[in-house]
Amino acid sequence: MTLPVNIDFDNLKPDEFEHILPDLFASGDGKVSQDPRLKKFLAANPDCAALVSDLEIIAETARSLFEPVAEPSDRVWQNIQAKLQEDSSLASIDDDYINPDASID
Amino acid sequence: MSCQGQLMTQAPPARPNPGLFKRNPPIAGEAEAIEAAKRGDAEAFAKLYNLHKRRVYTLCLRMLGNVSAAEDMTQNAFLHLFRKIESFRGESAFSTWLHRLTVNLVLMQLRKKGLNLVSLEETISPSGEDAPRRDFGSRDPVLVGSVDRVTLERAVAALPPGYRMVFILHDVEGYEHNEIATMLDCSIGNSKSQLHKARLKLRELLRNPSQSSQPSAPAESAQ
Repeated sequence: MTLPVNIDFDNLKPDEFEHILPDLFASGDGKVSQDPRLKKFLAANPDCAALVSDLEIIAETARSLFEPVAEPSDRVWQNIQAKLQEDSSLASIDDDYINPDASID
Repeated sequence: MSCQGQLMTQAPPARPNPGLFKRNPPIAGEAEAIEAAKRGDAEAFAKLYNLHKRRVYTLCLRMLGNVSAAEDMTQNAFLHLFRKIESFRGESAFSTWLHRLTVNLVLMQLRKKGLNLVSLEETISPSGEDAPRRDFGSRDPVLVGSVDRVTLERAVAALPPGYRMVFILHDVEGYEHNEIATMLDCSIGNSKSQLHKARLKLRELLRNPSQSSQPSAPAESAQ
């Protein structure tokens, strides 16, 4: 889906607008409300303007969710440590096995 | 829409992504810890874990919607990281690389649990009452102004799993549509379309907060 090149922004209908809205959001910086081509249409269609405003608010607020809010329990790191030690032990066994200089008890 | 998943178990390719670099600035001491970890230094592993555990866990929790599954996945992600860290070449931010690895592991688990057994159309584009209404609706004062982070977090948790995945990847994690399309093995157009539907559904949930009080089923059980 890409924005059709022959859109008549001056005579846009709400259903056409709805159809191209995902691409309008995906193009540029996603600020559909600031798109000069849509100024007239949004002024004449307050419901569409409200939709655009709401979706922009949602997208903008979503960026604030990037910062983490939760922390794993200590159990996670304990398990990771145990597994890494296991890996290390296995590697050591392998090294001993292939190393002719390794002492054999 | 065919949007079957792509399995990527290997460490993610390190490639520059200016957008993610911007959101993942270098962390003091991280480069030294990475080099030490490559030599097997246990303290360096601990440092890297402490630097990134919250971001990785939060990502897993959001995508899986379940504390226990998120902790298991966090453990899995860091084990993968420590076992593959030698392949990190520093061509992208370390956290970008780690998050990509985590996302790939989460997607792989979701598919193992059955998400790949059905068309992702079914899970990304739920039908019936889960689908967002297509009408513009009347103007509603709820969203005029701003939405607070906690309210949005709750609404995101209530999204159908497929919507939630695309929304988190694009709007929260900052992936571009072409990257999401690669990860989910779908078209860029589909990614744009699903994101739009996710935002419409969120708008609906935010206008009717009672719908957000019941979190959607964990993604791994979505079929």
